[in-house]
Amino acid sequence: MKKLWAVIKIESVLFMRDFFGFFFTFIFPMMMLLLYGSIYGNEPSPYFHGLGAMDMSVPAYSVMIIGVTGLMAFPLTLAYYKENKIYKRFDATTAGKRTVLCAQVIVNFVMTILGFVLLLSVGKVMYGIQITGSAFAVCLALFLSMAAVYAVGFFLTAIAPNIKICNLLCYLCYFTMIFLSGSTIPRELFPDALKKISKALPLTYAVDALQASFHHAPNQEFWQNILVLLLVLAVCGSLGALLYKRKSWS
Amino acid sequence: MQEVLAKIENLKLNYSTATAVQDVSFKLYRGEILAIIGPNGSGKTSVVECVEGLRSPTSGAVTVFGKNPYLHRHSIYKKIGVQLQDTQYPEKIKVGEVCRLFSSFYDHPADWKELARQLGLWEKQKRTVKKLSGGEKQRLSILLALLPRPELLILDELTTGLDPEIRRGMWDSLLHIKKMGTTILLVSHYINEVEYLADRLVYFNQGRSLFEGSQEQFREYVQQNTPKALWQENLTLEEVYLLLSPQTDVLELEEIL
Repeated sequence: MKKLWAVIKIESVLFMRDFFGFFFTFIFPMMMLLLYGSIYGNEPSPYFHGLGAMDMSVPAYSVMIIGVTGLMAFPLTLAYYKENKIYKRFDATTAGKRTVLCAQVIVNFVMTILGFVLLLSVGKVMYGIQITGSAFAVCLALFLSMAAVYAVGFFLTAIAPNIKICNLLCYLCYFTMIFLSGSTIPRELFPDALKKISKALPLTYAVDALQASFHHAPNQEFWQNILVLLLVLAVCGSLGALLYKRKSWS
Repeated sequence: MQEVLAKIENLKLNYSTATAVQDVSFKLYRGEILAIIGPNGSGKTSVVECVEGLRSPTSGAVTVFGKNPYLHRHSIYKKIGVQLQDTQYPEKIKVGEVCRLFSSFYDHPADWKELARQLGLWEKQKRTVKKLSGGEKQRLSILLALLPRPELLILDELTTGLDPEIRRGMWDSLLHIKKMGTTILLVSHYINEVEYLADRLVYFNQGRSLFEGSQEQFREYVQQNTPKALWQENLTLEEVYLLLSPQTDVLELEEIL
């Protein structure tokens, strides 16, 4: 535990030193909230089934944070450490690469939760955002969304032969998903063709699960989203692990 | 009788596309400096990584402190310090931070601040690793290798990137470390370094260990395998070593340039 804690401390510092990760985890979602909040306010609207635009946006922007850490920060760090043989160097100590990998997952999870709490707090203060659903459902949706999106990121690093391709895949997935999943622009505004595409993206189900959990007791739709996220986690996680068995860490 | 610290027997290591090493056998005795020499691509680093437990041999046996290093990596790294051939560190980590982090992995680490002073890195402790020069990065790798107060120190290309003054200082430091009881396994391309430091050496070529013995025995081995016309007395170890290598053609750059 002492070793894990030491690596967690350093990885947290390194996360904060990375401008991209820091900005898009803590600042950008808040900027989006304040920008769109100043335009649309949070008055109940028939577009959002009687909820305000910001009531719907906070859970959606939360998924943007999950996307940043799960599809960018975590997989790109993993690919960078692997390609530059940093894990190998840790393997040549009493700590080992598993400690570092574990610390990286924990740090990215914690940063995501901190970003979520910050966003929620600003939303509450500025626009009176309320969570009327159950805390259990919110936590379940949040943690499962993180796990599923991290599994997608892990899978991308497993199929990428090098860090350049990994960068390309991560950027492609990240920007496609944040714009088409409803995490930045409400899907209610999409034409039908885009709505169909968004149904194929894992992040869409994270947005739906979080939005449903914020404002309702868990219903059938919520559990369907949870099931899809579980499937994504199982498929991408196990495929990634299988592919990594064939990869050399040396 | 000398204690055997590491034993490599009939080691074979295959990569997905080729056999990297085969028929490799040698022993490392406590308290000695053993150098592994040989041309590029002869399998030196592959063998050392098997000793370090970073690779599992395809066949044959490797024991370090009486254990299989691949299976008991966690326990043997309490006694081993390594400097890998081409390691990097997270770009944005600072020198002091990486030293503190690696120190935290050991129960009784050496004082990293004192090592940093000795290795000329004390002034750089707040600098990120990315901003270090090649030589400074190399010294950082050596510092981290010394942190566990190792009984066995494995150094792969120790002085690559170091200027002559620091290189000579490093050699003397290693002799001092050896006097304190540390065993050293050294991989080097610099034969003058090997001549200065090594008690014994292992010569590799094309993935096989062809010789194991003292420097004197190596001279005799080369003499026996060299046409008499080429052999001279009073050759340096590097000149002796070069007799084993095929003659390298002088590059005809005039025609290109």
